[in-house]
Amino acid sequence: MAKLTRSKLEEYGKKAPAKAGRALVRVGMSTCGIAAGAEEVYEALKGAVAQRNLDVDVRKCGCNGKCYAEPLVEVVSGGLPAVLYGKVDKRLALDIIDKHVINGELLNDHIYGIDEGKGE
Amino acid sequence: MKLILLKDTDGKKEEAVFQEKILAEMKKENVQGKWQVVRVADMGIYNKGVAVKILPEGFTYTGLSLDDIPALVRTSIKEGRELGEKSYGLKDKQVKIVLRNCGRIDPENIESYLESGGYQGLKKVLLELKPEQAIEELKESGLRGRGGGGFPVWMKWQFARKPESAEKFIICNGDEGDPGAYMDRSVLEGDPHSVLEGMLTAGYLVGANKGYFYIRAEYPLAITRVQNAVEQARAYGLLGENILGSGFSFEVDIRLGAGAFVCGEETALIASVEGKRGYPSPRPPYPSVKGLWGKPTVINNVETLANIPVVFSRGGKWFSSIGSPTAKGTKVFALTGKIKNSGLVEVPMGITLREIIYDIGGGMLNSYDIKAVQTGGPSGGVISREYLDTPVDYENLQKLGSIMGSGGMIVIDESDCMVDLAKFYMNFCVDESCGKCAPCRIGTTQMLEYLDSVSKGKAREDDLPRLKKVAMAVKKASLCGLGQTSPNPVLSTLRYFEEEYLEHIREGKCRAGKCKDLLQYSILQDQCRKCGLCYRNCPVNAITGNNKQGYIIEREKCIKCGNCFDVCKFEAISRG
Repeated sequence: MAKLTRSKLEEYGKKAPAKAGRALVRVGMSTCGIAAGAEEVYEALKGAVAQRNLDVDVRKCGCNGKCYAEPLVEVVSGGLPAVLYGKVDKRLALDIIDKHVINGELLNDHIYGIDEGKGE
Repeated sequence: MKLILLKDTDGKKEEAVFQEKILAEMKKENVQGKWQVVRVADMGIYNKGVAVKILPEGFTYTGLSLDDIPALVRTSIKEGRELGEKSYGLKDKQVKIVLRNCGRIDPENIESYLESGGYQGLKKVLLELKPEQAIEELKESGLRGRGGGGFPVWMKWQFARKPESAEKFIICNGDEGDPGAYMDRSVLEGDPHSVLEGMLTAGYLVGANKGYFYIRAEYPLAITRVQNAVEQARAYGLLGENILGSGFSFEVDIRLGAGAFVCGEETALIASVEGKRGYPSPRPPYPSVKGLWGKPTVINNVETLANIPVVFSRGGKWFSSIGSPTAKGTKVFALTGKIKNSGLVEVPMGITLREIIYDIGGGMLNSYDIKAVQTGGPSGGVISREYLDTPVDYENLQKLGSIMGSGGMIVIDESDCMVDLAKFYMNFCVDESCGKCAPCRIGTTQMLEYLDSVSKGKAREDDLPRLKKVAMAVKKASLCGLGQTSPNPVLSTLRYFEEEYLEHIREGKCRAGKCKDLLQYSILQDQCRKCGLCYRNCPVNAITGNNKQGYIIEREKCIKCGNCFDVCKFEAISRG
């Protein structure tokens, strides 16, 4: 990796927040999330994406603070605001991929936050 | 896409009925376009009846009945206008500065941090501002230390900046030890680069070329992620020689704390980094003058350092626009205890405890009423419920006999005993007292003995003034912060809940049912339906009898666990 220069850093600063066309799925993987089973959920999401051959970016992230609802999975896709799902297990993870990511259909009873600012 | 979100904020699970009604009404009104009606699990609104939120407009309504739905659908969903009377004006009360990236970026990837504006603050300080200007900016921001003391950050840096010294050091204090507090862990795990950027900024302004992360060994994931962040920063040239062509060089190392609470105290922490036993030493001289290896050293808490990049990227003036007159910016609290939404909250300084507990925390966990809030861990105290409307900042909490501390906030309800609580913290302090100075070593043990005798009903009334006297002595005479603040839980519970102490002493009664030695469990024979539930749930077979003749509790065998009391459906177990 080449060293970061002033001008390179300036480019990062000017870049508008990435509006990736790709769907983004974030899994809260701090100690609290992992203790609640986030690793299993992360693997399930990764597996589901690979199996269905989808172009979805599944990423780890830190704890967003809603520890009472861990494991947390946030989905940014298809022109919708960022949707945060809580108390996610393996089965719900598959639903998130099949319904929300593929069909843009939000799941009832599992949403713990919707952030319009973070959407596309 | 229009989203219609729905939640029964009273928890009565009425959502499904409303959802059907809305769908039916929308069909009737023949609403066009793409939309979804979704039941959500948490809307950030609590105890306000059925709530509906319509996006992207952001219309929010609470306290809805089924009769409101037709008008709502017609006006707000079909025509896109706000419906006046049921509108809910309150906005989310959290402001995320420290936690800005937690839960958003990938903490294991520096690119992710750079893309979200990372290292822009550092760039500004290194390449655009003069050091004096930067310190001035920091002064304008009004940022104060978040580790508990609340010392102005610019002053600390200025003190360390002044003396001429070939070597100076920056230390990040990540030895978070208060029971129930985990803000620092979350920041280190969720956004390690922001803390590193804060350290680099401090290093440049103070004139230090070496920094240490001091992280407790109980945080393995935080350590891994910081280690990873350091390596990536090095690969990007953000650590090492001549950073960004500025001529400034900086390196960091990680030191692990071996689990001693006292090592969160700065002088003990320095001793620990030096490889010595974690003993505190008297101040002055302060570390900013004579710290690590006797050289000027800045020690800042994780949360303080995570604020630094924002102070510079968005400016001191912006930063100081948030918060209360004496405390600027935000504070992260680890909200735990008897609260519905336990987790991390970041709120502007000056918000009230009531807002934190009811508007963000979702209110009490069980049916019990709130009794008090504990802040600041073993160094802090309790604040009784009469003061829930106090704005939270350093001075206000101190006036109430507690402290802001590093950010633990434990909600206590009527099922908690204040003597038991004080005893818990005192036990912690006795365990963690390093033993160097007598007031803390002996005083905390003495205080614990008094508390123990109160909880066993063996204390006398004149023990309370003695307890207070010992507490004051420990507070005045201890060498370091651990000892000086260790009486706070005792003094503050005595201040607000003396009657509970007196009840234990005079009546041998613990109203919360926590002090086991004062409890006697027995079965009220006239209430008992002989169902045998207590009999089956007793872990030590202290309940004997059968479903014909009824049951009794054998006192000699009873361990007072309270299982029978909890499981009995007929309130046939008496405790007292």
